[in-house]
Amino acid sequence: MPKSINLHPFTVLALAAAVVTMATAANLWWVSCAVLTACALVAGWTGHLRRLAVLSASILIPTFASLLLIHGLVSQDASGLIAAAGPFRVTVSGLETAMVLGLRTAVLVVAGLLCTLLIDKHQLVAAIDLSPAPPQVGYLLAATLFLLPHMAEKQRTIGQAQALRQAGTGRGLSGWFQRVRLRAVPLVLASLQDAHDRSAHLSARGFPAAGSHARLRTVADSVTQQRVRWVALLFAVLGPIAILAPFWGSR
Amino acid sequence: MIENQENSRTENSVLLDLNIKRFRYSGAELDSLQRIEMNLAPGSLTVVVGESGSGKSTLGEVLAGILPRQGADQCLGTMNLAGQRIEYTDLESQRINVAGWAKHVGLLPQEAGHYLSRIRERVAEELVFSLENEGVPREEMRQRIAGLSKQLGLDHLLERDPAKLSGGQERLVALAALAISEPSVMVLDEPLAGLDSWATDAVTEMISRLRADGTAMVVLSRTAKPWADNTDALGKLVDGQLSKISAEEHVQQPVSEPTQWRATPGEAEILLDFSGVQLGYPGAERPVVDGLDLQVRAGECVGLAGANGSGKTTVLKTAAGLLRPTAGTLAVSASTGMLLQNSSDQLFERTVLREVSFGLPKKGKQRLRVPEVLSQLGLEAFAETHPYELPASARRLVALATVLVREPQVLLLDEPTEALDSAGLACLQEVIDSVLNRGGSVLLSTHDQDFMHRTAHRVHQMLGTPESTTSGA
Repeated sequence: MPKSINLHPFTVLALAAAVVTMATAANLWWVSCAVLTACALVAGWTGHLRRLAVLSASILIPTFASLLLIHGLVSQDASGLIAAAGPFRVTVSGLETAMVLGLRTAVLVVAGLLCTLLIDKHQLVAAIDLSPAPPQVGYLLAATLFLLPHMAEKQRTIGQAQALRQAGTGRGLSGWFQRVRLRAVPLVLASLQDAHDRSAHLSARGFPAAGSHARLRTVADSVTQQRVRWVALLFAVLGPIAILAPFWGSR
Repeated sequence: MIENQENSRTENSVLLDLNIKRFRYSGAELDSLQRIEMNLAPGSLTVVVGESGSGKSTLGEVLAGILPRQGADQCLGTMNLAGQRIEYTDLESQRINVAGWAKHVGLLPQEAGHYLSRIRERVAEELVFSLENEGVPREEMRQRIAGLSKQLGLDHLLERDPAKLSGGQERLVALAALAISEPSVMVLDEPLAGLDSWATDAVTEMISRLRADGTAMVVLSRTAKPWADNTDALGKLVDGQLSKISAEEHVQQPVSEPTQWRATPGEAEILLDFSGVQLGYPGAERPVVDGLDLQVRAGECVGLAGANGSGKTTVLKTAAGLLRPTAGTLAVSASTGMLLQNSSDQLFERTVLREVSFGLPKKGKQRLRVPEVLSQLGLEAFAETHPYELPASARRLVALATVLVREPQVLLLDEPTEALDSAGLACLQEVIDSVLNRGGSVLLSTHDQDFMHRTAHRVHQMLGTPESTTSGA
């Protein structure tokens, strides 16, 4: 059972932004590895390690593969040749480039995914609603975050209705493709109809709020967290400048 | 509209005055409403009855300011509300701020789930969604939730996910979410559909209390029976025209013919056999249904009764093969077909004909039955119509047609009378009779007590408590 962390969603996002920008600016493999390890530890402590591993792998494996193809197998660098065959040249610097780029991407992906696993989406929307941000921001975020769960629920319902008519009940890969084919059009049409049916009532209930608005839900916050957020945002903006400034003009 | 002298109030003030000469949907060839006159006084109860497609929902949306859609629908008439006069003319209609209008006139739609935002995690948050958007202080919102949940017995639902409520619970929550904004006029489209007897009493009592506080209520319903004793004005919509009617006149109208008495089959073949069955959903703390023992024999119609959320839908879905028991055994020895509680969940094709033919082998004999089934249910004229364009009753019959075309031996019906008008009810009764006469069986859940007693050989009382239910229960 995953643990819930008692941090304000903005605190998690600010910390993640600081870590990602500074690790990207540092461009050191060991910094990237340290960040990834820290993410894994946090995910393990909160009970999200398995999901984080699966989600990260689904994005990073194709990313690393493409970087290896581009930089590792057809390197133009003349030095440090490891192997060559026809147009393929594997060099040390080519592999290093692929690895450094891959690790930088991995930091962004893993930290980003960890945020999505740690932050409760309802808490995030409430935090935005309770912040001085325009009401439209909360509306846009809510519409985006809750669209996929709605569509997932809808496609489950359509699947049940089709199963009642013995359609889309096949097994294996062909069964999966058949289900996708049978559900795709009804899903889009039903979602549009649903949005149409609800829109008038959402408007009648004053959504999105035009002026001042409130939330029943509370989002726990503290002065310490507010300070941490400010420091993290300073690091996110000034950290990369501080890291990169010594190299300006040297290349 | 006829005034009931006994119940009419002494107040002369009129909250809302509606005079619609005609209303026509964009692209329609006929008017949906004609010569509608309504005057709503504070605390009054106005009941408008009518068959499906008579224009009740359209009238509700006009009252709520959702219709006419500017630049699309045609409307001619006037509406006076809270000192404002809205003019609808052939040339131009005034744009209504729906959110502002809703502070005065609130509408509970026929499909109550459409009223819920679906972007709040808990029922408590869903209840105060409109108050949140108005910026009402948190403490006041808490007080209103506490008051309303006490009135309607919603305490056990407040922490639940609104997306995982049963049909009846969903309607109750939507009604509470509408009432919490305290509009001066509430328009309720079939407010008691799918509610158990306890919830029906709670809603009826809440309506009385709101009226006492000065809220004008408009009830749009197939029948005026639950309201006949204390209505201030009763009207009947036929083809978009509102006519006066007395309560006696309405009650005298035959609703549907009672089914002929049938002998309960004694030792007929068992088609459905639940034995010690436990049903639940992944992640739920407790099972929805536990220790269910139920047999349904050939030629037998069994009714499932129980409170909203007691697991009736779950039992039917399990019998249909959509869910599996977590314990116990279920033996199904015949083909099953199920009518879902919400027709919209069962319809996804572009035309009625395509809908009913969906999934049938092109050269199979079932495909040949499609015209026959459409004719049996009076749907042949709608063969090329989009199911969503049909009135609610016809849409329900289309969903039933998709089931019947497969000739199931066991017919599973979840709240089949919901949204059906009297013609639809007669069709449903015929269908049930035909299934039983050919040796099949019917298992149904309904809160319509008259229908249950008229139709079922016996009633199985569900013992599950509403608190223990989860998704789709």
